[in-house]
Amino acid sequence: MVILRLRPPPLHFTAPANLTKLPLMDSDDRAITKRQLGIALAVIGILGFAGILAIDLIDVGRQGGIGPAQSLALLLMAALTIIGLSLVPLGDAPA
Amino acid sequence: MRPTIIHLRHTLMLAATISLLFSLVVYFLYAANLLAFPYDYDQGEGFEVHDTVIFSRGELPYRDTEVYPFYASNYPPLFHVMAAPFVWFFGPAYWYGRLLGFIGSLISAVAISYAVYRDGQRQAWISLLAGLAFLSSNFVYHIGPLYRQHTMMVTFETLAVVLLASAFPRRDRRGIAIALLLLICAGYTKQLAAISAVAAITWMFLRAPRRAAAWTAAFVMAGSAIFLALNIASGGQWWLQAVVANVNDFMREQAFGLFLLWFKLHGFLLIPAVLLLIYETYIDRLSLYSIWFAAAALLGGIASGTWGAGDSYLVTSVAAMCILSGIFFSRIVTQNLRLPRAFSIANISAAAAIVIPLLYLGYARATLKMPTDGSFQPIGELLGIKANVREDFYDSATFDVGGYAHIGYFLTPADHAAGDRIVELIRATDKPVLSEEAGFTMAAGRDVVTNPTQLRNLHLAGQFKGEQLIEMIEGQQFGLVILRALFYPPPVLEALDRFYEHQKSVRMNDFDYLILRPKIAEEP
Repeated sequence: MVILRLRPPPLHFTAPANLTKLPLMDSDDRAITKRQLGIALAVIGILGFAGILAIDLIDVGRQGGIGPAQSLALLLMAALTIIGLSLVPLGDAPA
Repeated sequence: MRPTIIHLRHTLMLAATISLLFSLVVYFLYAANLLAFPYDYDQGEGFEVHDTVIFSRGELPYRDTEVYPFYASNYPPLFHVMAAPFVWFFGPAYWYGRLLGFIGSLISAVAISYAVYRDGQRQAWISLLAGLAFLSSNFVYHIGPLYRQHTMMVTFETLAVVLLASAFPRRDRRGIAIALLLLICAGYTKQLAAISAVAAITWMFLRAPRRAAAWTAAFVMAGSAIFLALNIASGGQWWLQAVVANVNDFMREQAFGLFLLWFKLHGFLLIPAVLLLIYETYIDRLSLYSIWFAAAALLGGIASGTWGAGDSYLVTSVAAMCILSGIFFSRIVTQNLRLPRAFSIANISAAAAIVIPLLYLGYARATLKMPTDGSFQPIGELLGIKANVREDFYDSATFDVGGYAHIGYFLTPADHAAGDRIVELIRATDKPVLSEEAGFTMAAGRDVVTNPTQLRNLHLAGQFKGEQLIEMIEGQQFGLVILRALFYPPPVLEALDRFYEHQKSVRMNDFDYLILRPKIAEEP
């Protein structure tokens, strides 16, 4: 099981009065990191790839093997896995 | 930058602007030509007019197709609801729906220009070119001035994405709510907008998962409530007609062909868009535009390979491409990119001053389509182009790829006269008329009977028996049958073959309309 690590919550503090009127940006949101995104994409890709192949194994009554839509989906899942794995080394940079 | 380089850049930018403005002039003329045509130009437009008429009466077009007039729509309601007030004042007509679509495409272009201007360090000229590039796309040109919901869906999507990209990071609750409402509007204009909704939700989750979860929950609840209300109000027909009957076969050759054509026509801007997507993926943060572009290109492209789909399914990706490439160019010009030391952003920026207008010039040439006769003849000769899809029209895409709409040319007085002739034939009979295009029967003041593609889809899903319709055909209760593409389910076509015979063909808009009359019973 893959456990996604989240950043620790930011420390609470009282903002100076002159800062409270500034527009709040999303920098204090816990954004997904490139590593987390990479792991998520790789997991989706691997599970999706296995799931598409499993269609033929489970549905034994099906004829004709892997069809055009299935082969396209397999290709997409493989690409998703590769992109995901390439993002993992980028660490905690926000995705 | 040297004065000669600046002068050269301005000259090239001006040339790119003039080229894209020429494309815009052709688009306006094409729209004006279509607005004046009172019949179907693209197959199925008339049924959308009929949907609008039904909505204008306060009724729903999601109906039981087993009983006369065997009609149902598979499209969500919003576009037709928007056009419904026109029916109250002008009756059933094509021009207002086509005008709405055309205006929608112009609004999308303005939104694209605004997004590039706002998020690309206020580069006004590049912003203008980005908006013009959208309108120059062959795919946008085709469908923009049609009585179709697709263009309005893209308009809602574009407005939603441009608004959300700014509102969500600023925690602008009103802005986020309006953007999500626009996405719901897009979805209830056409189901394909689900792809943009997935892209927007994914991007919100990347930025701020907790806030995204709360907004997504509200979004799903609002969208589901409308869905349920429609299903209850139509007695379950909404689910059957708009969901079950919308699942079609996937044709790999069509999808690949359209992907290749998409690249051939838009490659000059697709490559910069992809470069920014890669840059954001590995160096910067992913923008909503990048995720929208990737989702629309990939999923929209795959969906374009389904039966009945086509090049229009890639229009959303073209909108995203125009924004992304425009922002990429703006960031290069303003040197607002973090690059590895091996690359000098200053040198790249200097080179880009010349390359960027050349890319837009190349794009204008790649997407060129225009009439080759009349006042356009000297321009065609100057550009060295000849008619290639009809005797009087040039389309850089050609008509060789399956799924690419064979339209775009201008209609002639002969097309108007042909449509009038078919309407006269309908008026000459007292009986109901079975027509594959609704425009003729509406013009003759008769019932619109059946929606052939919908019956076909229901038949394939095992949801159409057609007993009463076949009974009427066997009883020769239709005084006239008008066929164009033979989209009816096989049992209906077989019954027509047995009890009706081809009397004549009327050529309109490059299609042969087959006029069938009841067979006279042979002497025993």
